[in-house]
Amino acid sequence: MEVKRSSNVKTAVSVIIPFVLLAIMIGYVFGPGSELIGYGVVLPEISIEKVEFVDSEIIATVRNTGQISVNIVMADINDRIYPAAIEPDKHLERFESAIVRIPFEWNEGEPYAVGLTVDDGTRFEKQVDVAVPSIQPTVEMISYFAVIGTYVGIIPVLIGLLWFPFISKLSRSKYKFFLALTIGLLLFLGISTAEEAIEISANNLSDVFNGVLLVATVAVVSFLALNYVGEKLRKRAGASKLAGPVAIALMIAIGIGLHNFGEGLAIGAAIVLGEAALGAFLIVGFALHNTTEGFAIAAPMARTKLMIGKLAAMGMIAGVPAIFGAWVGGFSYSPLAAVIFLAIGTGAIFQVIVSIMRWIQNEEGKLSNSSVLAGIAVGMIIMYITSILI
Amino acid sequence: MAIVIAIVSFGFVGYLVFPDVYITAQEQPEVFVTHTGAVVQTTGDVLDPVYTIQEVEFDPEKYLRDFDYGKVSQLEDGTILREYTIIAEDDKIMEVAPGIFYNVWTFNGQVPGPTIRATEGDLVKIYFTNNGSKEHTIHFHGNHPAEMDGIFEIVGSGGGQFTYEFIAGPAGVHPYHCHVMPVEEHIGHGLYGVFIVDPKEGRQQADEMVMMLNGFDTDFDGENNLYAANTIPFYYHHHPIQVNTNELIRVYVVNMVGLDPINNFHLHGTLYKYYPTGTDMIPSEFTDMTTFSQSERGILEFEYQDTGRYMFHAHLTEFSEKGWSGVFYAKDSSQLNMEGYAYGS
Repeated sequence: MEVKRSSNVKTAVSVIIPFVLLAIMIGYVFGPGSELIGYGVVLPEISIEKVEFVDSEIIATVRNTGQISVNIVMADINDRIYPAAIEPDKHLERFESAIVRIPFEWNEGEPYAVGLTVDDGTRFEKQVDVAVPSIQPTVEMISYFAVIGTYVGIIPVLIGLLWFPFISKLSRSKYKFFLALTIGLLLFLGISTAEEAIEISANNLSDVFNGVLLVATVAVVSFLALNYVGEKLRKRAGASKLAGPVAIALMIAIGIGLHNFGEGLAIGAAIVLGEAALGAFLIVGFALHNTTEGFAIAAPMARTKLMIGKLAAMGMIAGVPAIFGAWVGGFSYSPLAAVIFLAIGTGAIFQVIVSIMRWIQNEEGKLSNSSVLAGIAVGMIIMYITSILI
Repeated sequence: MAIVIAIVSFGFVGYLVFPDVYITAQEQPEVFVTHTGAVVQTTGDVLDPVYTIQEVEFDPEKYLRDFDYGKVSQLEDGTILREYTIIAEDDKIMEVAPGIFYNVWTFNGQVPGPTIRATEGDLVKIYFTNNGSKEHTIHFHGNHPAEMDGIFEIVGSGGGQFTYEFIAGPAGVHPYHCHVMPVEEHIGHGLYGVFIVDPKEGRQQADEMVMMLNGFDTDFDGENNLYAANTIPFYYHHHPIQVNTNELIRVYVVNMVGLDPINNFHLHGTLYKYYPTGTDMIPSEFTDMTTFSQSERGILEFEYQDTGRYMFHAHLTEFSEKGWSGVFYAKDSSQLNMEGYAYGS
């Protein structure tokens, strides 16, 4: 016992020693009185992450994305200085954010540039293409977004599920083809979700967040986490013929749900940003597109007996997040939150792809047969064609 | 360990995504007034270049009517000698607008430098010391010998000296400024001032004031961020210049705004007689709008019959809404005189 305890202490000490040495070095290099890293000039940097237009006021959300704390001291609209207020206060530590309220009689449909100047005189600007009244979460707007989310997410997915009887009557090789088709669909969705996450981070997030690496990190972590959960789920279900397909379908539904959350975000944000035409296109496009998602959920369960309740539940899991997405995108759009959600979606979708592939391999022996390869290719082509409609 | 890291990172991400939750509001709400007069309340800080009384290091109120006539003495031949001391520095950080700190380069510690005033024919001697870290000179507009021009006679940093000596003339209003290259940089940082030469016969008694039109490119992007008459944006908008009705007002206007090719001056409520460069005693125009190119200047003469607040500003609205605007507050002259209040030099 004694011996074991002392070896534990030794292990702990050996873990801690490098940290202590590192702390001493950092303290020496950066600490008070150190002149080693006194060169160069650190410039302040702020990012205007969001601009909202409300009654007689323009509201900008600003974040300190530089390496030093700053004071926001002046606000302007179109390079004209205006009295304004900043809440909670004008001093921003690193990563801290604040709301700047600029009383201004803005005109709907016109472009505006919002500028903020920090204490060293540097001005930062955010261009807004179209001014539209910011949407308030009234009952009316909440139900409006819910209806749109239903049209985009739930109904098309449920329609897609109606292919279930068709798939269940297919021959073994044709069935394999359609299962592979699902992989193609998901592969496309995964790539497009990642693309969207990277695009939002490039347009709306400061460089300090390392957009692409943020997406990659979150996607990989979510992939690994879902993989772990999926594995547990399968083990618990045992080797039962029934549980396997259901578990896979469930994971597909969850992955697609996260993806649809992103679609809802995109639609909500487009409407909020005043891009009504884009919003309408997104609604039609996503609706067509999402019918294929219903198919993806139905495919793995096609060899089991029809379980309408489970199927419908999965349709809801996949579709309902579109409503939440539309709410979040419409009412409290935060580019950082959007990027994180979309990156989680990316990881989830790729995890589902791996699960289906593993499943095909277990069931059918090998992956590289012609109907599987053709299925993946056709799946991607279908998605590409429907995506052009957006 | 892993749990701690997870909690910390989730907390951090949460802070980034939903900062509102972490924001605690100030107790006492503050109030400010918009350009159009609406009163707005906030729980945070007010960002207001106009309506809050600011502690400005440079006082435009004082500069407006502050004339440096120099140390006066008479030579044997009867010529008046005026001696001035000007020291250049380039390390001062000044609050050029509320909360905005900018490295100004100064003559006698201020931007613009002191208003040098002499009478036509006076001998002017300017003892110049350069206490800056860069080379500087003073280049006066007006008549002087070539070697007094402040172009080739570079004055070294860290205490270099030079004495500018010339006969003041012609009568009018002129700028002076550093002429070391890049001149745009030396002027942009503030090395300039006004040089007034009074005609021998003098001008009519008036309430006289100086307006140096200037601007600052505080982020060095090639565009001015702030404009003003006498350095501090919106200052006279918030602190109106007090004048008397039925009293002649004379404004010496000099435009030293760099980067922008032109600037202008517009007066409300009346028109003024305009004397370009002030070199002729007959006005060239009776107007309420004058355009100034860089270093262009002139004298404006006008008076108000009625009391009230009259705006003056750049009619280039971009400049006026970035600080170059102000207000004359005309008061009943008889009332003011009873209080024993008098203007003029």
